[in-house]
Amino acid sequence: MSVSRSKAQERAERHAAAQAAARRRERRRNLLTGLAVVAVIAALVGGGFLINRANDSAGAIEDAAASGTASSDHSLAVGSADAPHSIVIYEDFLCPLCGIVEQTAGERLTALAEAGKVRLEYRPMVVLDRLGPYSADALNAFFVVQDAAGDEVAKAFHDLLFADQPSESQTTFPDADWLVQKAVEAGADEDEVRAGIEDDARADDVAAATKAAGAAGVTGTPTILLDGQVFRDGRTYEEVADNLVAAVQ
Amino acid sequence: MKQWLALVARLVVGGVWLYAGLVKLPDPAASIESVRAYELLPGAWVEPVGYLLPPLEVVLGLALVLGVMTRGAAVLSALLLGAFVFGISWAWSQGLEIDCGCFGDGGPNPDAAAEYPWEIARDVGLIAMSVFVVAVGSSRLALDGVLFRHRALEPTDIDGSEHLPELTPDQDDQQEIER
Repeated sequence: MSVSRSKAQERAERHAAAQAAARRRERRRNLLTGLAVVAVIAALVGGGFLINRANDSAGAIEDAAASGTASSDHSLAVGSADAPHSIVIYEDFLCPLCGIVEQTAGERLTALAEAGKVRLEYRPMVVLDRLGPYSADALNAFFVVQDAAGDEVAKAFHDLLFADQPSESQTTFPDADWLVQKAVEAGADEDEVRAGIEDDARADDVAAATKAAGAAGVTGTPTILLDGQVFRDGRTYEEVADNLVAAVQ
Repeated sequence: MKQWLALVARLVVGGVWLYAGLVKLPDPAASIESVRAYELLPGAWVEPVGYLLPPLEVVLGLALVLGVMTRGAAVLSALLLGAFVFGISWAWSQGLEIDCGCFGDGGPNPDAAAEYPWEIARDVGLIAMSVFVVAVGSSRLALDGVLFRHRALEPTDIDGSEHLPELTPDQDDQQEIER
């Protein structure tokens, strides 16, 4: 009796020990598998992060800017080309974030450009044509005014359009008369600009400016370049604009 | 039954993540502007988060659909969705009119506010499904079952937790007798 009992006990202990060992092995194997899976997941996310950073359109824009292919014939520059900094702003007259940048920093940047601290170059383009004709109409008017009355009046016209920017969600946008009125307010001669504004005389240049911006890698507005680098540092676009001013002061 | 429902929840939530991540992958710059539009993160965080979210969403979606690290993925899913609900609520409370950027196309949108309640409801629904997956812990057709299979001992719980039978000497004897 006692002999058989101790034998059974011994067998049970052996069995339990074998099972415990198997359990340990399995726990170990599952832990290693888990670590491997976590490592693969981390590698995928991390790799995606790096690929995303490499694919950012900012890289293409900076490359185009560096190679000089991005220089535009359809731009408006303020300030000396010898200024220590250069700012290039791609913008659409209807884009609300462009409006925020202009309303926040436009005056200060212009003053800095006139003081020789920065060369400020605007490259207007059309992005929001899906919302209506205003983007293209305004850009056409801009080129008409620039041609007829010169850069200074065109800059004033540009500033007026952003100061009184229509909302994206409007169903009826400002018409040619409104644009003519702004042009006159900016200092243009109505007789010299009315026909061009009403007839979309510079539609080819509107298309060419937009195409050139696209070729320079610009996919959206506002796109800001500070000394050849895409600048978009800020919690909001107000902050981006403030930081931009601070960077060239 | 619960495990089949958990499978459905996994596929729905995972599918949404996968889609949301994939449509955002081609345009990192747009992803960054979607993040900035919330006006929540400090400037220095906007870019990294904009780069990180799309691949994170894709991998999270894959993990849920395939059933890899299911519980962890579902926890992360619920947390991330919670953050999005907070973000949309924040935008709403601040009077920001922005597209949520959930499936690309972020940034200002003058008619966005009307969408906020529906977007929050959708995300809350997805959170509920994620929590359900966490609660059930295991579901059918999950890769976890293959990866973390209990080979050494049978029977095992399908969820991979180790409820091994405690063998007493008596049971052992019993087994011996049966053999």
